[in-house]
Amino acid sequence: MRTTAELLLLLVVLTDLAVLGTSRLRTCIRAVAAQGLLLGLLPLALASQVTVHIAGLAAGTVLVKAVVLPWFLLWAIREAAVRREVEPVVGFIASLLLGALALALAFAIAGRLPASDVREPLLIPAALATVMMGLIVLTTRRKALTQVVGYLMLENGIYLFGLTQTESVPFLLEVGVLLDIFAGVFIMGIVVFHINREFDSLDSARLSELKD
Amino acid sequence: MIRAHVGSSLAALAVLFAIAPALSGVVVRTKSAFAGRRGAPVGQLYRDLFKLLRKGTVYSTTTTWVFRAAPVVVLASLTAACLLLPLDGEASLVQFSGDLIAFAGLLALGRFALVLAGLDTGSSFEGMGASREVTVSSFAEPVLFLGFLGLVLATRGLTLSAMLGPALTGAWAHQTASLALVTLAFFVLLLAENSRVPVDDPATHLELTMIHEVIVLDHSGPDLAVILYASALKLALFAALIVEVTVPRDGLGLAWSLAAFVGGLLVVAVAVGVVESVMARLRLNRVPQLIVGAGALALFGLILLLR
Amino acid sequence: MTFVVWSAALLLASGAFGALFRPRAALADAAFRAGTLVAAIAGSVPAVRVLRGVPVADVMLPAPVPGGPWVFGLDAVSAVFLLAILWVGAAAAWSGVAALRGHVAPGAARASHAFVGALLAAMVAVVTARAAVPFLIAWETMAIASYATIVLDHARADVRRAGMLYLVATHVGTLALFGLFALWGAGAGDLTFASLAAHPPGGVVRGAALVAALVGFGMKAGMVPLHFWLPEAHAAAPSHVSAILSGVVIKLGVYGLVRVTLLQGAPPAWWGWTLLAAGVASGVLGVVWALAQHDVKRLLAFHSVENVGIILLGLGAGSLGVTYAHPAVAVLGFAAAALHTLNHALFKALLFLGAGGVAHAAGTRELDRLGAAARAMPVTAGAFLVGAAAIVGLPPLNGFLSEWLTVRALLHAGLSAASLRLAVLAVAVLGLIGALALACFAKVVGTVFLGRPRDPAARVTHESGIGETLPLVALAAACAAVGLTPAVVLPAILRAGAEGAGVSLAAIWPGGVDPAAAPITLFVLAVAGLGGVAWASRALLRTRVARGAHETWGCGYAVVGGRAQYTASSFAAPVLASYARVAGVHANRTAGAFATHAGDPVLDAVVTPAWHAVERVARSTRPLQRGRVWLYLMYLVAALAATLGYLLLAGRAR
Repeated sequence: MRTTAELLLLLVVLTDLAVLGTSRLRTCIRAVAAQGLLLGLLPLALASQVTVHIAGLAAGTVLVKAVVLPWFLLWAIREAAVRREVEPVVGFIASLLLGALALALAFAIAGRLPASDVREPLLIPAALATVMMGLIVLTTRRKALTQVVGYLMLENGIYLFGLTQTESVPFLLEVGVLLDIFAGVFIMGIVVFHINREFDSLDSARLSELKD
Repeated sequence: MIRAHVGSSLAALAVLFAIAPALSGVVVRTKSAFAGRRGAPVGQLYRDLFKLLRKGTVYSTTTTWVFRAAPVVVLASLTAACLLLPLDGEASLVQFSGDLIAFAGLLALGRFALVLAGLDTGSSFEGMGASREVTVSSFAEPVLFLGFLGLVLATRGLTLSAMLGPALTGAWAHQTASLALVTLAFFVLLLAENSRVPVDDPATHLELTMIHEVIVLDHSGPDLAVILYASALKLALFAALIVEVTVPRDGLGLAWSLAAFVGGLLVVAVAVGVVESVMARLRLNRVPQLIVGAGALALFGLILLLR
Repeated sequence: MTFVVWSAALLLASGAFGALFRPRAALADAAFRAGTLVAAIAGSVPAVRVLRGVPVADVMLPAPVPGGPWVFGLDAVSAVFLLAILWVGAAAAWSGVAALRGHVAPGAARASHAFVGALLAAMVAVVTARAAVPFLIAWETMAIASYATIVLDHARADVRRAGMLYLVATHVGTLALFGLFALWGAGAGDLTFASLAAHPPGGVVRGAALVAALVGFGMKAGMVPLHFWLPEAHAAAPSHVSAILSGVVIKLGVYGLVRVTLLQGAPPAWWGWTLLAAGVASGVLGVVWALAQHDVKRLLAFHSVENVGIILLGLGAGSLGVTYAHPAVAVLGFAAAALHTLNHALFKALLFLGAGGVAHAAGTRELDRLGAAARAMPVTAGAFLVGAAAIVGLPPLNGFLSEWLTVRALLHAGLSAASLRLAVLAVAVLGLIGALALACFAKVVGTVFLGRPRDPAARVTHESGIGETLPLVALAAACAAVGLTPAVVLPAILRAGAEGAGVSLAAIWPGGVDPAAAPITLFVLAVAGLGGVAWASRALLRTRVARGAHETWGCGYAVVGGRAQYTASSFAAPVLASYARVAGVHANRTAGAFATHAGDPVLDAVVTPAWHAVERVARSTRPLQRGRVWLYLMYLVAALAATLGYLLLAGRAR
């Protein structure tokens, strides 16, 4: 481990795996919160010198991704009295294996991308892996809340991609943090409560009942 | 390659064999400390073993020679597995390219004998334990191989001696993340292979919830002593593996090397005790999830090495 | 080569003797046994010489048909397969004579022995053929003779069904082989292997030829997903025939893959990776499906799929080693594949013969009805246990040795540069396969031989006769002997590997001697010795303590006899639970009963529906069949006219 950034990125991937492997909703959310914290620290670790801009970005990211959103999700669990277990469609072992496969793919693809970042070789594979594992969570979990978690992981992966471009496009990340995530989570939040009110359940598989 | 100077290896081996029963005692003491009790003395297992060796043996009328051979095979296979690890921190007694599969194969041999002995009694309880044992190990064995592969790629060594030898010290400097992940996977394996919490609870008293303990229900007297000792040795063997991975001991001199070895073993035993104190046993169908999770970690370490 | 020819002729003759001259049963049996044994000894002479490095000259016959001369030869690769064919053949013949005597009509037994003789002779021809035409003739003879031996018990509908499935599968495979040689031979002068090797096709043609080889040989080898015929056929056949089928016939599919790999010179990378992937799929799925089985012979058949997977891992590594020019990987990979082929032939024949003996004595092959056979059949139980430990890959037996070689090949690949290093991940798969195989054989040995009888009707009361136990003991001894003498076995098998890789051993190790040969020998002997010492010290200890006998401790419950034991299905259930739908277990739950049925997912979900589709298409051509001679003549004339028309047009176009 040569740099702090590398350590942070490894931990990001570990939190991805933790989300895939755990059967408890709260652990899932805590893992995503930890991931948010790590993502907030990353700009500091990557920057050659810490400017006010970067410090602000880090603080904002930590606030949004590690404090506000997890709190919002935990609150949703409490309010909607969601059962505490994750309900996977394909099983935890299978999702872990899928996750490992995604990880291998991420490293394989990252090796072939032309614009691999020279500052931090792990950045692109970690971003790809987070995106893919987010997709896995989105597609293989039944509860609407876990889908929000998957969506957040997806966002986090895209955030990591954004980190490679901070120098060429200065305010990309800020836009991402402020707009994308807020929009996404608010939409999902509304969806969560919509489902809850209409069907007395947060089970998105029941959305199929809408077709009649 | 067979080593010219076997003295230090034999000394380390003797230390491992002597200290093995004490490690279980340390685990128990750690758990007692957490629970605010005094607990049994660290040397309790030695006393139990001596007591059992003096007792008579009762054999079930259902059993065949397979049941009688099992303790022998278990102990012999574990002893042979000990010969493959470089316990003195430098080189093992027997080493050859690809000996990691011999290590895994010997553990499997002991397991095979024990499971068959359980089935030999014709008891449904022991059959259940045997079934659970092979279930847990069917997940644990690939993880063991993944961990070994990580060591092979990190040190570019093909023998266990090379994988756990001086090259490992250099590898820690460059491949810290991968080796840390491998160590973590090995620790989960230690818990799973030795039937510790959160996989199995050695202190449980209900046959329906046991894995390892229920297989040996029908062994008694010296046979049971051999099996208890072999279980302690297996725990010590996995602890030794973790110590070998984490504590570089090359160039320490025999005395200091052995002291570091023993110290490492005790730390691992305390760690096991801490885990047992703060965690509850997992539901049986969650156990594979834990082990596969450890496998995912080891695989992640491997991917980092392969990239 | 003379010895090999005599050996094949003797196999053919000793089997046919009984069927043609109809002597007394005892004489026919004795002739068959003596013939196979002498043939095995005769054929082993050149095989062992080749493995010790003495080349054997080829035999060339002028060809009566197109395709160049008929060449026969023996190299180290063929020699390994030849040894397996001859000795497993002899053991199975000895056991089969005893098994069939008094259980089937004398005429049927004679016919069966004749077909077994023909099957063995055809296999000898397959592995020594060095030209496509004799190869295909021998291949087809082998297929037909296998069919005839499988359907011995043709009064039973399930046997006929299995036989038909086998016949269809093997002919699809043969068709693919015709495609292979047609594509490959188009550019070569004739169809001898020498000229095929000299003119490998390029580009798309090579790709098509290799796919045809994969289908044709993979079908015979039982490679997933082409394995669907195998469990059916191997379960339906008499046990000694299953031993031959599983021990050697399917290995000839492996032999074909090896030969095609060698003929290519440097195979393309995708070939090696495909073999490796097929090995992973066959290995893991084979053992998972085996775990799900209730029928001991079907279970063993699925283990053949698994072991072919392990062989393919070695072969894939070897092929990749050649492609990426890494001699150590290539030699170790090919050597591992060759040794595992030989080892699997030994222990799988042993297991099938042992299982056959138990099934015979108990009258059932259902695991959940068996139990405690070790008491009545100590010799069979002991030999079976050795075979089970060997197939699981436990030291110090032979299966361990070949898995060790496979792991070494993969580890060397892992330390190499380039994308070859990804092959190292297969080591973890091998670990998974090994652990699952252990679970499966603990289940088989535990439920068949140990514990109490589960069903009084299926209680075993007597040991098999000497005619059946002798081959078992011989095969068990062979498993132990190969396992305990790596110093003797390794140089020979590495020579076969080096020949396959086309490099000399001196290019890898100084002096051409594997430095691991001495320590591994020491290791296996140490393991055996430690076991011996421990057993001896136990005997000493035992004299000092009192012993008692009591019934099994029932944990406070009243033990209600054998039916309360764990069954094979419940033993395997927790392992299979994690494999969900892949395992192919269907559960039927009714109010009063719970039953599981273990199917073959590929056969049930793919092949059977596909076959029904073919049938539907075939039915639509029915109107062509009118049963009138003039109509058929008209078809002939029409076909002839169409062919002539095509030739005319094609000629004009040129």
